[in-house]
Amino acid sequence: MRSRRFNFLAVLIAGGALAVPSAGFAQAAAQQSAAKSAPKRDLNGVWQLQGDGSQQPIAEDKDIPSMTPWAKAKFAEEKPGYGVRGAAGGNDPILQCDPIGFPRIMMMPTPLELQQAPGRILEFWEREHEWRPIWIDGRALPQDPDPAWFGYAIGHWEGDYTLVVESTGFRESTWLGPTGYPHSENMRITERYHRVDQDTILYDMTISDPAAYAKPIVGPQRVFKLKPHGEINEYPCVYTEEHEFTQRIREPATPKSAK
Amino acid sequence: MKLKLAASFIFAAALLAAGGTARAHHGNSAYDEEHWITLSGTVTEFVWANPHCQIFLDVKDDKGTVVNWAIESQSPGIMRRNNWARTSVKPGDQITITLAPAKNGAPVGFSGNKDGKVVFSDGHVLKMDIR
Repeated sequence: MRSRRFNFLAVLIAGGALAVPSAGFAQAAAQQSAAKSAPKRDLNGVWQLQGDGSQQPIAEDKDIPSMTPWAKAKFAEEKPGYGVRGAAGGNDPILQCDPIGFPRIMMMPTPLELQQAPGRILEFWEREHEWRPIWIDGRALPQDPDPAWFGYAIGHWEGDYTLVVESTGFRESTWLGPTGYPHSENMRITERYHRVDQDTILYDMTISDPAAYAKPIVGPQRVFKLKPHGEINEYPCVYTEEHEFTQRIREPATPKSAK
Repeated sequence: MKLKLAASFIFAAALLAAGGTARAHHGNSAYDEEHWITLSGTVTEFVWANPHCQIFLDVKDDKGTVVNWAIESQSPGIMRRNNWARTSVKPGDQITITLAPAKNGAPVGFSGNKDGKVVFSDGHVLKMDIR
């Protein structure tokens, strides 16, 4: 028994040495298990969505439920200015510096900061230098909200480590992601910020929008990591800069076969 | 016992392989991130601006013709976190840059994420892999 355990450890250590030059597998595993436990009812800090550094789609194409005729027609009109559906002269709102809106802003590769204030949690995004309040004072969602770029959000704690956020009241002019998936003003979003340890939030999002999709869109579980000394930089969308970038980079790089 | 050892090793190797390929997929990209290339040339312009910084680079092709490449990088915020500054690259600098070229064949590319980097003539290197 003892020798078997020794062999397994040896394999782990050998695997680690082969794997990542800077931080071996075994070392990474040790760090993982050594992560401090999460503080109670506390999401304060600068957080980074984990990924390949690109803007992420709301869900894989195969996981987007069938669209209603209304949504299909809107999708056909929404032409990304870049990417696989890209076409010169695309009408992605962010290319004109229209607000990126929620939930698309959550899928950006730039960090966000969460700060708790009395009765609310404030969410600040580096991208666009934008923010929204998540009200945790027990209020209900408004019955007939004015449609807003970032919606209207309320939250409550489920236990000590999971913040559940419900939001509604979105302008239908924003896209759900770079591919151009649409949504209606009646979209309702449920998010779960589950802090599993000091450094990690597991993030789930479900979008219910019967006017646009036959079933709710369930995004893949995403991981946010704490950046202990992180800070949010300024990242406004500046129309003149965006326009120049489109002309000099995006359009020349647009695939010829784009549809 | 030997079988178990082998099985453990395969399991560890599979874990490592999975970690290595997770970033390769970039479905919405106009760039070919499966085939990164390296170009050397003379910087003509460095744009330090949102949404993404840009490096313009004169590169001689096989026939000696100079082609001006337009290379997208990251936002100034991300670049700053990677020790870049607005003065890191200047017109006239000789650099070697690793980039993913546009799939359409135009002299446009993306240098960022884990594989993008710039090597300067004095040997120092700047990357863009920290978010």
